[in-house]
Amino acid sequence: MRAGSIVVVRNLVKRFGDLVAVDGVSLQIEKGEIYGLIGPNGAGKTTILRIMAALLLPTRGYVEILGYDAVKEASKIRPLISYLAEDAGTYRNLSGREYLSIVARIYFDSNVEASRAVEEAISISGLGERVDDRMKTYSKGMKRRLQIARALMTRPKLAILDEPTSGLDVFHAKHIREVISRHVKEGGTIVLSSHNMLEVEYLCTRVAFIHRGHVLFEGEPKKIKNELGASNLEEAFIEVASR
Amino acid sequence: MRRLFPLVEKEVKDLLRDPRIYIGLVIPVILMPLLGFLISTSMSSSIEAGARSVKIAVLDCDKTALSNTLLNLSVSLGADIVKIDVPDLEVAIGEARNLGSKALLVIRKGFENDLVNYRKASIEVYVVMESVSLASIGVYTSIEGMLTLSSKFFSNMLVSKLNPNISPDVVRDPFNISARSILKDKIIEVPPQIFFNQLLMGYSIMIPLLLLILSITVVQFAATATAVENEEKTLETLLTFPVTRYEILLAKLLGSSILAVIGSILFTGGFILYFNNMLSMQGFGFPIGNISQLLPSPPPESFILLAVSLILAILFVTSLGVAIGALSSDVRMANSLLVVVIVPIMVPSFLMMYGDLGTLPLALQLLVYALPTSYPIMIARDMMTSVPLETILGIPYSAALTVLVLYATSMLLTPEKLLTIQYGLRLRGARKRQIRELD
Repeated sequence: MRAGSIVVVRNLVKRFGDLVAVDGVSLQIEKGEIYGLIGPNGAGKTTILRIMAALLLPTRGYVEILGYDAVKEASKIRPLISYLAEDAGTYRNLSGREYLSIVARIYFDSNVEASRAVEEAISISGLGERVDDRMKTYSKGMKRRLQIARALMTRPKLAILDEPTSGLDVFHAKHIREVISRHVKEGGTIVLSSHNMLEVEYLCTRVAFIHRGHVLFEGEPKKIKNELGASNLEEAFIEVASR
Repeated sequence: MRRLFPLVEKEVKDLLRDPRIYIGLVIPVILMPLLGFLISTSMSSSIEAGARSVKIAVLDCDKTALSNTLLNLSVSLGADIVKIDVPDLEVAIGEARNLGSKALLVIRKGFENDLVNYRKASIEVYVVMESVSLASIGVYTSIEGMLTLSSKFFSNMLVSKLNPNISPDVVRDPFNISARSILKDKIIEVPPQIFFNQLLMGYSIMIPLLLLILSITVVQFAATATAVENEEKTLETLLTFPVTRYEILLAKLLGSSILAVIGSILFTGGFILYFNNMLSMQGFGFPIGNISQLLPSPPPESFILLAVSLILAILFVTSLGVAIGALSSDVRMANSLLVVVIVPIMVPSFLMMYGDLGTLPLALQLLVYALPTSYPIMIARDMMTSVPLETILGIPYSAALTVLVLYATSMLLTPEKLLTIQYGLRLRGARKRQIRELD
């Protein structure tokens, strides 16, 4: 990893044919931050996250992750990050433990490290003995918890989480928020997207309002609320989006 | 490459535990022998039932000592003979049916006269076809057997009458033929007909059939393994792991191939059991495998050629399967697309199994030579004699085409390309739905 900001995005544009999904987005994320992208469906949040995860190529602009060019040095970025897709599925016929073990062995050279990562993931997921059951028997919430555990067990320098708590009940959502906070305290950095503005307000150190492919507003939740005279981020977003 | 092993493990475990796969693997080994047993049992019992209860109506127009001898002989051979005495054939047939006879035997007038004058005597057989079933064959087989034995009895009698010192067998069949086959300067103590039957069965049907099954199985597994990643939304996550697209592709190729080989072994086992059950029927049996011990082994280089061509063919079809799976939103769609791919692969294989490549029209020959899947079949067929030069020259071409397809498939596993194509397909689907709704 090179010194400097964890994420640098400059004038990012992404087109799918005629559709402009992201239009001139610039942002910078520093080490130890939980950075939230908030906005309605189709705003461009997932596309920005996919470009950061080196899944998609920008049409224009520059993206740097952990000091590496996301286009030219994607293979150097992948071992250092982890990505949780919004609708990430599971392998129906594998057990949770088998899946975690396979992923851990991909990321870690040593079996000891891989085993440690699996045990940590089992603890994060809170699946207990059910971790040895086939994943097709899991509820939506259990699958989501397992995927979050998978994303964080590799101790990524940057975790990119698309709607991390979607499909989770309030208890498990709270547990995951605590896991995310702990991960950052241990030296990680997180960028996430969410529809749940209250969650973002509680969790994130900084947020960006995304609407129709543009960043409308960016800053610390408290400062945004003060600046816009809103009682919460939801009100602040509506205020900014309706301008 | 260290990361390849967990990926292969994932592929094999996920596929092997998928009911759509393991049921397909296990079914042939259970179903085919069962099918063979049921068919052979049903065929045997039908033929036996037809033969056992055969009631033959006889219209004896000759009414002589020899015609009577024939009827007595038939009774002693187990036939249930009912004599009818009517003026013509049509009435005789009607009478036979009324009596419940399954066949009518007509001994024409002059039967004895012809025989004693050393001329062929006429017997007509009419079999009542109650249904298109094996029972009707059984009736005729039984009558034919009875008449053959009677014919031998009468010929013995006539030859002995001419000269008691002559063996009737020598008169009937004066040659003692012992045919042998020569293969690559080696004399094999097997008649050419049986030899060709065995070669045809082994090298021209069984091996090509096995290769065909392997190709179809491997392409299906590869497509399913990849399409299921789309269906279950796991492919996107997989593409973010620190693995190259070649490792992902190779894991899918290896995983699918391992299972396809297991599947093909099970299928072949089932197929052999099916054949054994079928061939265990009386009159249908001929030894399988006995001749292979007498045959010289094909040269070692032909095995190398077969192995190389087989690896290329498997890589080729598996890559196609991965590409189809990657472009399919779910397994059902992948299976529909597979039909479009499998048919052009199967056609040349069938052409080679049942015909001579050189006699095909040029366009079909080009199609056969264009597909890497054709080469293992061509080599298997010719490895006992000699593999033609054009087949050997086709292997580098086959390798180049396989590498091209592998590269194209690996390019498809680039997240940018795959996600963009899938996005485009989804968009097209949504637009079509919108147009339909507007209509």
